[in-house]
Parts: sequence; C-alpha cells; structure tokens
Amino acid sequence: MTIDDLKAFGANTEEGLTRCFGNEGLFFKLIATVPSDANFDKLKAAAETGDTGDMFEAAHALKGALGNLSLTPMYDAVSDICESARAGNAPAPEKVKELLDLRDRLNTIVNQ
Amino acid sequence: MNENNSNEAPVDEQVSRHRKRKHDKRGETMDSFLKTSGLRRRVLVVDDEIINRMLIGNMLEAEYDVVYAENGREAVERLENTKTGFSLILLDLMMPEMNGFEVLDYAKHSEALKNIPIIVMTSDKDAEVKSIKLGAVDFITKPFHMPEVILARCERVIELSEDKNIIHSAERDPLTGLYAKDFFFEYIKQVEQYNASRQAMDAVVFTIEHFHLINEVYGREKGNDVLRTVAELLVDLFKDSAAFACHAEDDVFYIYCKHRESYDDIVDVCQQSLEEHSRSPKIFVRAGVYPEVDPEVPVETRFERAKVAYTRIRGDYTQKVAFYSSELYEKAIYHERLIADIEDAIENGDIKVYYQPKYAIRGKTPRLRSAEALVRWFHPELGMISPGDFIPLFESNGLIQKVDNYIWEQAAAQIKAWRETYGVTVPVSVNVSRIDIYDPDIESFLANLLTENDLDPSDLMIEITESAYAENADRLIEVINNLRGRGFLIEMDDFGSGYSSLNMLATIPIDVLKMDMAFIRNMESDDKSLRLVRLVIDIAKFLEVSVVAEGVETKSQLDLLKGMGCDYIQGFYFSGPVPPEKFAAFIEADLKVKQEERGKTHDN
Repeated sequence: MTIDDLKAFGANTEEGLTRCFGNEGLFFKLIATVPSDANFDKLKAAAETGDTGDMFEAAHALKGALGNLSLTPMYDAVSDICESARAGNAPAPEKVKELLDLRDRLNTIVNQ
Repeated sequence: MNENNSNEAPVDEQVSRHRKRKHDKRGETMDSFLKTSGLRRRVLVVDDEIINRMLIGNMLEAEYDVVYAENGREAVERLENTKTGFSLILLDLMMPEMNGFEVLDYAKHSEALKNIPIIVMTSDKDAEVKSIKLGAVDFITKPFHMPEVILARCERVIELSEDKNIIHSAERDPLTGLYAKDFFFEYIKQVEQYNASRQAMDAVVFTIEHFHLINEVYGREKGNDVLRTVAELLVDLFKDSAAFACHAEDDVFYIYCKHRESYDDIVDVCQQSLEEHSRSPKIFVRAGVYPEVDPEVPVETRFERAKVAYTRIRGDYTQKVAFYSSELYEKAIYHERLIADIEDAIENGDIKVYYQPKYAIRGKTPRLRSAEALVRWFHPELGMISPGDFIPLFESNGLIQKVDNYIWEQAAAQIKAWRETYGVTVPVSVNVSRIDIYDPDIESFLANLLTENDLDPSDLMIEITESAYAENADRLIEVINNLRGRGFLIEMDDFGSGYSSLNMLATIPIDVLKMDMAFIRNMESDDKSLRLVRLVIDIAKFLEVSVVAEGVETKSQLDLLKGMGCDYIQGFYFSGPVPPEKFAAFIEADLKVKQEERGKTHDN
C-alpha cells in the first residue's frame, strides 16, 4: 500500500496524515484495519433484514472512523446511509453495495 | 473539515493563545512540577472504534498517559477502580453496552467521576446541546479537527478544571461550607463592581463568646457540630437577605446582607440553638453591626468597623448587639495610636511616675508613712492621657507589663534617691496588674530591683487588685506566697469595689487592706456605706492586718475614720499624686515633725 494507491482510491491522504501527526506508519496501520471492521457485516445484515436501527449504529460507527482516515469515497457513501437510517428509511441498496465494493477495493490495496 | 469550527478563531491563533496563557499562568507551577517529577496526567479515551481510539491516543500521548476503554461500561469500571485519578475523559457517544449519554449521567452522581472534565467526541452536531446539558465541558467533532487544536483544547479543559477544583477547595471553609474570608471579601467586591443599583447593606460580625469552652468541655467534635449548626442557622436566617456568609475565624462569622433595623431576633435564635448544645451560662452569641455601609469604605474596613462595634459589648452580658458609630471608630483609632506610641513614650520619658503620700493617723499628728506610685502619661501631641484610658487598654493586650516594669524601676530608684538625700526610707507601693502575675519572671524581676537599689523587701510594697483573684486565684496565691516568702508586703487594693469575697481574704495572705474610695466618698451621706467602712476596718483588725482608706478629702472624713480605728489615709486631704520633686516637701515636713516630737520628748 502506498500513498499514491490511496490517492488513486480517492482518499484525502494529506488530511488523514495530518490527523496522524504525520505518522505514515500509523496511518497505514489504521487503514489496514478498515476492511475487516465488523460494522460492514453488521450493516450488510441489517440492510438485508431492513433493520434501520442496527443499520444506523453500524453506519454511524463507520462514519466516524472513515472520516477520521479521510477515506472520502467511503465516508461519503456511509454518510448517506447513516442519514437515511437515522430518519428510519432503508437506504438505497446501491449505496450499500457501493460502500461494500469500496471496502473490497480498499482490501485489495491494503494487501498489495 | 473546518466547517464545524467556523465560529472559532483561526487554529494558529487558538494554539498560540493557549500556549501563551499556559506559559504565563502555570509555567512555574503545576506543569513544571509534573515535568521535573516525571509524572504525567492521565487521560481516558472511550470509543468503540479502534481507529478513533488510536488516532486520539496518537495525538495525546506526547503529553499524557493515555488509557483506553471500548465502551461506557468498561470506562466506568476503570474510573471507579483506579487509585490514580484521571485528568480528562474523551467520550464517544454511540457505543454498545453503555453509551456516552449514560456515562455522562452516571458521572454526575459518582464521587470518582464528578470532578473529572469530560469532552464528548461525535460526528453528530445535534448531540452537542444534550451533551453539554448532561455535564460535558466541551465537544470535539468527528472527523477530528487538526490534532494541535484537539490537544490545545484538552490542555485548556484540564487547566480550567484544575483551577476550578483548586478554587472550589479554597473558597469554602471545609467545616461549615461557608466562604473563606479572602473569597468572601473578593466576591462582595465583584458583586458590587458589576451591579450598579445598590441597596443599603450591613456588615455584621457574629461572635460566639467563650466558644472554646465547648471544645474544652465536650470535645472538638462537638465544637465543630456547634459551628456547623450556627452556620446553617445563619444561612437559613439570611436566605432572603441577598446575603454572603463567611466563617472568618474559629468563633466568628461574617454576614453581608440587606440592611435591617434589628439583629436581636437573629442573635436570639442562634443563642437558643447554642443552649440546646451546651448548658454553659458563659457562652453567648453577640453581633457587631456596621449598618448601611458607606460604599466608598473598603470591604475589609466595613467588617473592621462591625468588629469595633462588637468590641464595645464584649463581655457585657446585658447587650447582645452593638452598632458601629463614627465616635466608636474614633475611639478605636485613638486606642491604636496609644498602642503604637507607648514604647516611645517610655523611651522618651513621657511616662512619668507620680507619688501620692499615705499618712499614719493613729498618733496625735499624722505622719508620712509611705507613698503609692501612680503613672502619668504626657503625650507630646495628645496631651495628658488619663490612666483610665490606657491602663484597661494595655491590660487587654498585655502591654501593661512594659508600663509596670518601668514604674517599678522608677519607684525603686526613687526610694534609693530619697534615702540618699534625706537619710530616711519612704516605702513605695506599686501596682501589680492581673496581667503581670502571669509573667513567670515577675518575682525575680522585683527581687533584682531590690538588689540593684540596695533596698529591703519591705521598702517596695506590692498592690494587687481583687480582679486578679477573680480571674486566676491559684496563680495569684502562688505569686503572693512567693513574694511574701521573699519579704515583700502585699496590699489588697480597691477592696470592696468588685468581687470582694471573704473567701478571698481567707485564702490570700495579705498585709494591708485598702478600702475602695467609693465607701469613703459616701460614708457621711449614706449610712450603709458608713457601716460597710466600719465592717472593713473590723475585718482588717480581725485578720490582724492594717487598713488604708483611699480618697479621703476632708478633715471630717479623717476624723470619722480615725475614730473607727483606721490606720492609714491616702487622699487629697493631704495631697494628690505629685512628681517626685514636689513629694520631697512632704518628706522635709515630716522630718520637721519628727524633730519636734523628739524635741518634745526631750523637753519632757
């Protein structure tokens, strides 16, 4: 995984690094934990059953973490899901799929 | 990312402002102590997302020891079970098990948590109001802002919280919960500074007289109970009076309140409560009031004035509330002046010793027997100051010892001087104040005077007053016994003026009884006084001691006393107190009488 990979992914790496006090190792280490975050599966399951409560909890937790790492595309997607779920509406399925696809792409980058 | 903080000052400015403040205010204190001691403050980060925990931890760990919890329940357990306190909690809101709101609610009621500041971290702007209402001190939005800003905000929150805790622990008296004196004064000043419309206010000092008796008789714990009770009562009694209350000294409370005409009811309620705690008849609540304070007078001085008012009734069982007046204040200022000037007065010779002759009247012609040394103060600016003004004052603060020592020295030197000039000894009696008897060196001091001036103990007579007996009989008897053992003669002064008791006469070994001048003054007009004079003379005869009548002004008084068997007379009939050079005339006159009597004997 390189900074350029993350930039190509759409991450705001400068901002993310700043939040890590410029510690690149920490930045990479934290990004590496993202794909295995249990909240993705929780979100996926909730989307299948239509449980907006669980969906909101999972999306809200992911939103904080993704935002902090400035993984902008994922952050934008999860923010939309979060707001829908907060209002008690099931988010558009393509939004959930978009988020999960981004997770898979990030997983590939992380494992490169 | 900056939109959430758009209403705040630019980051650089915030950070540098904070650093500057930190340097100015704390640079040399807590921070430098922590640095040199290697100790670090501890911060607890509570978030269920590891990424958030790690990010925050990375920001803070250069400054703090960072401890983590994954949810509210774990956080509470850590906080309740740790001995080392935390300086700050960073708290996520949405968490499993126990969420951030529940932690905030819990913290309000927990001894372990309630003084630790909590900063809430959330992406949810809407949660801000609820968090602050629940007691959060600050709010950090997710995604996190610049790390420097977060760090600076954490530092600022810790600083404010520590300052607040320090102030809180210092501003209140831990025993009563009332304000400590400095804060009490400061808050009054602040309130007055920011409130233009002023109503008439009173400065009131409440004192529990002889409070120490409660501590001594029932123990300190009980004494503390009493103080707490009085404090609660005062708070309750003044709750509608826009009042500040302060526990100023052990047994002294200050109240600053809306003006009221009377404080008798308040003193009565406190007194009743005290009597429920203690049956001692000596414990009294009294108040001194400076009513409708002059706003131009400094706050501290307002309470000084209330104290001055109280001082006037201290120990007077008939009055419980005294109001300050400017006259009273001037008297207090006058007393301060006397206290400040007395040492110089002794040094400069403004304090003079006068001598009043005492005559033996049993023989056909009155004969000079001895003299009493009396003090006079000629102040270069205030003029002649009455002993009635300064002796009670100096007795109340112990300065009387300095004055008395000086008089004794002068008197001893005078006896020697007269003896050298005239070849006769005129014994002089000096007053020993009830304060002097507490001086452990008093006996050796007096004995040294005899040696220095080559005198006999019987040349320097000691006058003591009844009040010394009333105050500390055991010590007085001890001193008298020791002085008599050295050969001094003891005169009981002002007998009959105060707490005369026959028991005192039985226990104190005295040589001379001096009858109070009030009896003599009234004995010709008032039969009761006359009979009392006779009684005192009889008592003296019974005890086989001689008796001196003071205040004799007329020939008829002298004849009456002589007829009743009185031995000696002192008073204006012969002479008032005079300076030593004038006293010499009495010695010379007496020497002539002596020669004449001798001549008559020869003639016979």
